[in-house]
This record gives sequence, C-alpha cells and structure tokens, in this order.
Amino acid sequence: MKLIRWIKETTVYRSIFRLPDVATDRDRAAAHWSSFLMHIYPVKVQRRELRFGYSAFLGVASLVLFGSLTVSGIYLMFFYVPSPATAYGDIQSIQTNIAFGQYIRNVHRWSAHLMVLAVAAHMARVFYRGAYKPPKEFNWVIGVVLLVLTLLLSFTGYLLPWDQLAFWAVTVGTSMASYVPVAGDVTKEILLGGPSVGSATLVRFYVLHVALLPALLAFLITIHLWRWRKDSMLTTDPPAAEGDSADEVELVITGEGQ
Amino acid sequence: MTDEPVVIDNHRVLGVVPGKPAAGDRKVLGEEDTVMVWPHLLVRHAVAALVVLLIVMVVSLLFDAPLREIANPTVTPNPEKAPWYFAALQELLAHFHPLVAGVLVPGAIVGGLMALPYLDRNPQLVPQARRVARVVFTIFLVVWIVLTLIGFAFRGPNWSWVWPWDEWHGEL
Repeated sequence: MKLIRWIKETTVYRSIFRLPDVATDRDRAAAHWSSFLMHIYPVKVQRRELRFGYSAFLGVASLVLFGSLTVSGIYLMFFYVPSPATAYGDIQSIQTNIAFGQYIRNVHRWSAHLMVLAVAAHMARVFYRGAYKPPKEFNWVIGVVLLVLTLLLSFTGYLLPWDQLAFWAVTVGTSMASYVPVAGDVTKEILLGGPSVGSATLVRFYVLHVALLPALLAFLITIHLWRWRKDSMLTTDPPAAEGDSADEVELVITGEGQ
Repeated sequence: MTDEPVVIDNHRVLGVVPGKPAAGDRKVLGEEDTVMVWPHLLVRHAVAALVVLLIVMVVSLLFDAPLREIANPTVTPNPEKAPWYFAALQELLAHFHPLVAGVLVPGAIVGGLMALPYLDRNPQLVPQARRVARVVFTIFLVVWIVLTLIGFAFRGPNWSWVWPWDEWHGEL
C-alpha cells in the first residue's frame, strides 16, 4: 500500500492519470472530460442499467471479444502468408512451431464464434428492452450493420486456413452471390476474383479480413458507443410517465394492433 | 473551539448545518434514479469483461480449433457445410429457389431489421403494450434458431436428415 501511495504521488503517474488522490463524485464526473477511456461513458446511468437482466452485458461482451480477436489476430498475422501455396503450411506451423501458436489460434477461432453469438444476443436483448425506440432508432441501424460486418469478418476469416472445411464452406457461401438479380455473376467475380475460389479469393478475403472490415467495424463501434453515451445522458422516461391521460395510452395500444 | 478551521489530512470542516441529509443519502433509490458510472457501472463492466475472457481462455485450453486436410478443389466433401451462422440459409436453400433463399430472404431480414425502428412507431416500452412487435420478433427468432440447428446438426450426406447422436456432421 505504501508503494502504491508512493507511485501515485510521482510526477510521471500524475502526468498520466489526471485524478486527485481521493476522488469525490465531482472528481469522478470531471474524469469523464479529462480521461480518454472514461469519456466513452456517460457520467451517470439509471440504476436499472446496473442489473444483469437489463443488458446481460452483451454489448460489453461483444466489445471484449472484438478486442480479443484483434490481439490474437495480430499475433497470427506475423506467421501467416495468404497464398494457397503457403497458407495451410503456415497454419500447421503456427500450431506446432510457434510459441503459444495453437492456443492463440484457438482464442481467435472461439472468440469469433462467441462474438457472432454475443452480437446476435445483444441485438435480441435490445429488441426486447425496446431500446431501439426514439431517440435511439439510428443506433439500432448502426447495430444491424455491425452484426452484418461481424458475420462478414467471421466468414472471410473462415477461408484463411485453406483446409477442406474453409474451401468448401466459402464455395457454398459465395455460390449464392451468383443468384443476385442482374449483377449476380459480376458480384461473384468481384468477391472471388475469378470463376471459383482460388488464390485471388484468398488475397481478397485476407485484405477484407485484416484491414477493411476491422477498420469499418472499429469506426462504426465508436459511433455506436458515442450515440449510446449521448442517449444515456438524456433522462428517457417511458412516455406514459409524462402525465398523459389514460385515453392516450389506450389509443397507442390499440393502434399497434392494426 | 477556535475560529480557525481544523485541518485533518488536507481536509477542513467548514461547518455543520441542520436540515435534511444530502440528496444521495435521503431515500431508497428507485430504478429511474441515476448513479455514478464510476464506480457502479465500471466495476460491473470490468467483471463482465473478465468473465468473457475467462470463458475464452478455458474453451481455448480445452478445445483445439479444427484444421482438416489441405483444400482440394477436386474432392467435394459430402455434406458441404456453410459456417453455422449461415446454416439456416443453407437449410432454406434445400427447399426454395436460390434467388429466394440466397438473396431475397437475407436481404429482407437485414432490410427488415434496419427498418424496424421506423416501422414500429409505438412509443411504449412496457412488454404488455407491445405484444405484436414481441410476438413477430420472437417467431422470427425461433424459426431462425430452429433452421440453424437443423442445418448445423441434423443434416448429413446429400443434405439428408440425420440424428446428431447417430452421425455428427456439424462443423465449427
């Protein structure tokens, strides 16, 4: 404890963490403006948001899994070359020759599956809470785009091991693209870089998987979180509590049944 | 007592006044009352994050990611399976024209989900007042989960019906 106290009094610590020794609520509120990590959060939330049943913390889980995928994915990138000649051998070598390679690959694989589950469950939870209603409509739309991006990230990553599972899953998945009306063959051609899954497909999926899609996802997550924070800071009481007459509530209920 | 305020540990007491306790201590807090994010929400998020990472760690220590033999365009596995999150679409593909199962249905789902907040203009949040929305969404969810399970675990060679406890064809 003495050591921690000493560290907290050093000039370097104080230059990094802009907090007083003893934090009051006022200091804590101020931290939301002075700390980068804290500015993601609103200063206050309604107590209902603390309950597990409110969100099951599925949004947090999704974000943490994205972090786990980024860290494990960057490690795997050091040892992987996206070419049909090398890809499969690289995965084998990651599993046998690279320090913690098998474990990191497992983390990446299972985090990806769990992230699809977490994002989908997050969406369902938000629906049942009615949290897509004004003023949060557009944040729901961003959330749907984030779900689609998560699926695309998972799907593009599925090809990279270049084993039978990867090759044929992607062959099945992309065969549907050719049924897009009018632009079907063009869509498939752009996706695969040729008539069938080959070396061009592997490079395209790799670039999508490690650069374009994660960048898009990270960008949209920041907007998603920013809007969440802004909306949390409004006190959004249910409309029935605004002191309207019972008739008006009745009208709304019957209006839904049309 | 002197007029000088007593300084204890860099804090000084300026005065004690009679009256009601401060707002935060006054009442039993309700669901709508606000609390500070730091520490109340932060500590919960930290615990949630640790639980998620623990699950990932344990699963990754227990189960290895699959790696089949090297890709071979001349040998088609039977059944060919899409990733599990596309299993419902693949199951639909066995029953409908690919234009319907591969393009129209996924397009309608994504489009419908995006349009949801603009279609459902009922401002009510209480479950009893939004039965239609809940029922429609629940039906969609159940159908989708059932189709995913069928496509993932109940389909074998030539997309024929198998019982997963007899033959396992699910791929992760």
